[in-house]
Amino acid sequence: MKVRSAVVLGLGLAVAAIPARADEETERALAAIKSVTREGRGNESAGPAWKTLVSKGSAALLPTLAAMTDDDPTVANWLRTAVQSIAAAEKDAGRKLPAGELEAFAKDTKFAGVARRLAYELLVSQDPGAAARLLPGFLNDKNPDLRRDAIAHELEVLEKSARPSLKADLERLFAASRDKDQVELLARKLTENGGTANVTEHFGFVTFVSLVGPFDGRDRSRFETRYPPETALDTSGTFAGKDGARLRWQAVSTTDRMGTFDLNKLLGPYKDAVAYALSVIVADDEMPCEIRVSSATSVKIFLNQKELFGRDEYHHGVTFDGNVGRGTLKKGENVVVLKVCQNNQREEWAQRWQFQMRLCDATGAALPVRQKVQLAGRPQLVRLGFIPESAPNPQEKK
Amino acid sequence: MRSLATICVALVLSRAASAADWPQFRGPNATAVSPEKDLPTVWGKDTGIRWRAELPGRGPGSPVVVGNRVYVTCSSGPRDDRLHVLCFDSATGKQLWHRQLQATGSTAAHPKSSMAANTPVADETGVYALFGTGDLAAFDTDGTLRWYRSLVGDYPTITNQVGMAASPVLAAGRLIVPMDNAGESFLAALDTKYGKNLWKADRPREINWTTPLVRPLGDRTEVLFAAPSGLTAFDAVTGQKVWTFKGGAASIPTGTVDGDALYLPVGGVSKFRIDSGGVAEKPDWQAKDLQTGYPSPLVYAGKVFAVSSQGFVACAEAKTGKLLYKERLKGAYSSSPVAADGKVYCMNEQGLCTVLDATADTFEPLAENALGEPTLATPAIANRMIFVRTDKSLFGIGK
Repeated sequence: MKVRSAVVLGLGLAVAAIPARADEETERALAAIKSVTREGRGNESAGPAWKTLVSKGSAALLPTLAAMTDDDPTVANWLRTAVQSIAAAEKDAGRKLPAGELEAFAKDTKFAGVARRLAYELLVSQDPGAAARLLPGFLNDKNPDLRRDAIAHELEVLEKSARPSLKADLERLFAASRDKDQVELLARKLTENGGTANVTEHFGFVTFVSLVGPFDGRDRSRFETRYPPETALDTSGTFAGKDGARLRWQAVSTTDRMGTFDLNKLLGPYKDAVAYALSVIVADDEMPCEIRVSSATSVKIFLNQKELFGRDEYHHGVTFDGNVGRGTLKKGENVVVLKVCQNNQREEWAQRWQFQMRLCDATGAALPVRQKVQLAGRPQLVRLGFIPESAPNPQEKK
Repeated sequence: MRSLATICVALVLSRAASAADWPQFRGPNATAVSPEKDLPTVWGKDTGIRWRAELPGRGPGSPVVVGNRVYVTCSSGPRDDRLHVLCFDSATGKQLWHRQLQATGSTAAHPKSSMAANTPVADETGVYALFGTGDLAAFDTDGTLRWYRSLVGDYPTITNQVGMAASPVLAAGRLIVPMDNAGESFLAALDTKYGKNLWKADRPREINWTTPLVRPLGDRTEVLFAAPSGLTAFDAVTGQKVWTFKGGAASIPTGTVDGDALYLPVGGVSKFRIDSGGVAEKPDWQAKDLQTGYPSPLVYAGKVFAVSSQGFVACAEAKTGKLLYKERLKGAYSSSPVAADGKVYCMNEQGLCTVLDATADTFEPLAENALGEPTLATPAIANRMIFVRTDKSLFGIGK
């Protein structure tokens, strides 16, 4: 009997891990919603399809979750609200959601992170104890909310206990952390407990660049003007700069732990100006990458002379990782160029001209790549975030 | 038969914009004035608060009320990327439904604001909720999703890292969506059934938090939209620019139309004559003492009231601009003053509401009522009640 029960239980869990097969009407409704594209195209069919899904009740819950993807947030929001409506109706009717299936779904990384997170929230709303059971398994999850909650949960557990492995546990949490506030919190706790935490390397900041500027940027067309660093890779030539200046690339580095390059100090407090920062990144293999930039002013991000991202906005605050260029690093040398513009606002709060730039994966983890730099007069390869112990005075021209 | 059909249409239209509703930012056509009577003057812990409902997140956006439904939006989460639309029963505060979206645009904003800074707009069919992330959804009264758009998905260069706050409005049966920003900047009219663009007018690339005004003009309707570069009138049906008034520049507070008078928050507050051809070049009067800031000015009971961000309230005659009084209230203000039942309600950022006698020519505070919770949102008035949303709660206040 025990063996039979175990087999039945095993089969039950296996079945629970697979969303119930949707009927044809549900499949058609999901297909209609997944056909929604830009500017509301497909909304005429998606609206009735949404009602069909919700009318199916819990039978459509798992198929709808399974239809969500991380790369189509518009469709994901259509489906998210359908899932919420189904769950609310089940609750109003006094029926429980299928806990086993939701748990299996939340754990199954073949499904989209946004859908797994939603399944987790539905489960926890019905069974708050599920959080402590599931969160430890999400410590390295691709979904940022699951990962964040897992880190917060683990940290809370650590602080309530007096584990001899505290330092190692904190190191594990620090390695898993991605959000700036959690990274900084864990770095502080690690340091307080006798460990070390290199935030610069953790984030994967570019710490060595070649700079050229200022180019003329007297009106808003500066953002679209393609100066030589955008059109050809010439690191040894001279260029016509602002007010007749002759410009050359110059090698600079930063010792700021958050990888800040202050262009007001490195180039001068120019207004109506454009500067470029260039970094050579060496990858052992081809890999997807995110080039994340923080800046108070307009930026464009180029990888191997292909424009990945642009934002033309000035002095509306600095958002960490607020500018993201997504591309693919090729095996070998890659050239990352960042364009950083400055306008002519004179207010005290509108004087910043600086940037932080880092290379990471989609979760925000520093990529295992190296920067090609000049150290002690010779080219060397150093990891992202590298700051030499005998670093020169930061933010000064060399 | 034709007469019957006409009557039916008229009834539907009148219900869609009932005078007693508070369907959008600052109520009926952004006047901040309600015809409601018998409203409370005093409330507090033990009196006047009929119900309190917890909210799942913050939001400077106001509640809106149509019929017996109160709609409110919130944003929450460590990234402020969880967007909520909630519906409550106005009489009991019972939550009728709650839907959530995941932000598809940037959540960058001044820390004081949030992604639920835009006030939704509602009619008898449901609610249209726009968020600072450019996410826009229409829900029926029962929470059925009618349609959804990711405006940043549609127009990826949209950006305002201070945070968006301009609110959508309904005009000539269209949903008017203000999207002035530092990237692809536009004013658009969407059909309310499917959420598709009916027209989309290019706008200057400048950030702007004002809400459009709607001005019926016989057989057509104008949408008046102020920005730092001036005030522009658009035909609500075609999207054609009708006229531009450079002197009507504004970026945060929203003006008020009162018949052929247009009160704009420029140079303090200025009163202009307005007709089908546009706005008179010179104002009838300009009152520099009527300072605004975040709050928008209010025209009520033959007077103009202005509350500054710093907490000064000033009152002037609407006809002449003559200053009647200027006094200091307690605290700082983001919320706009609202009026009904002979009273002006001024809600500060700490949830302290000073109630003024609107009929008096002198500063006559009737009460100071503390909710004890911070709020940046303008209250709504409908169903003989005042609805206040704070950072934590939605309050239904009535006698």
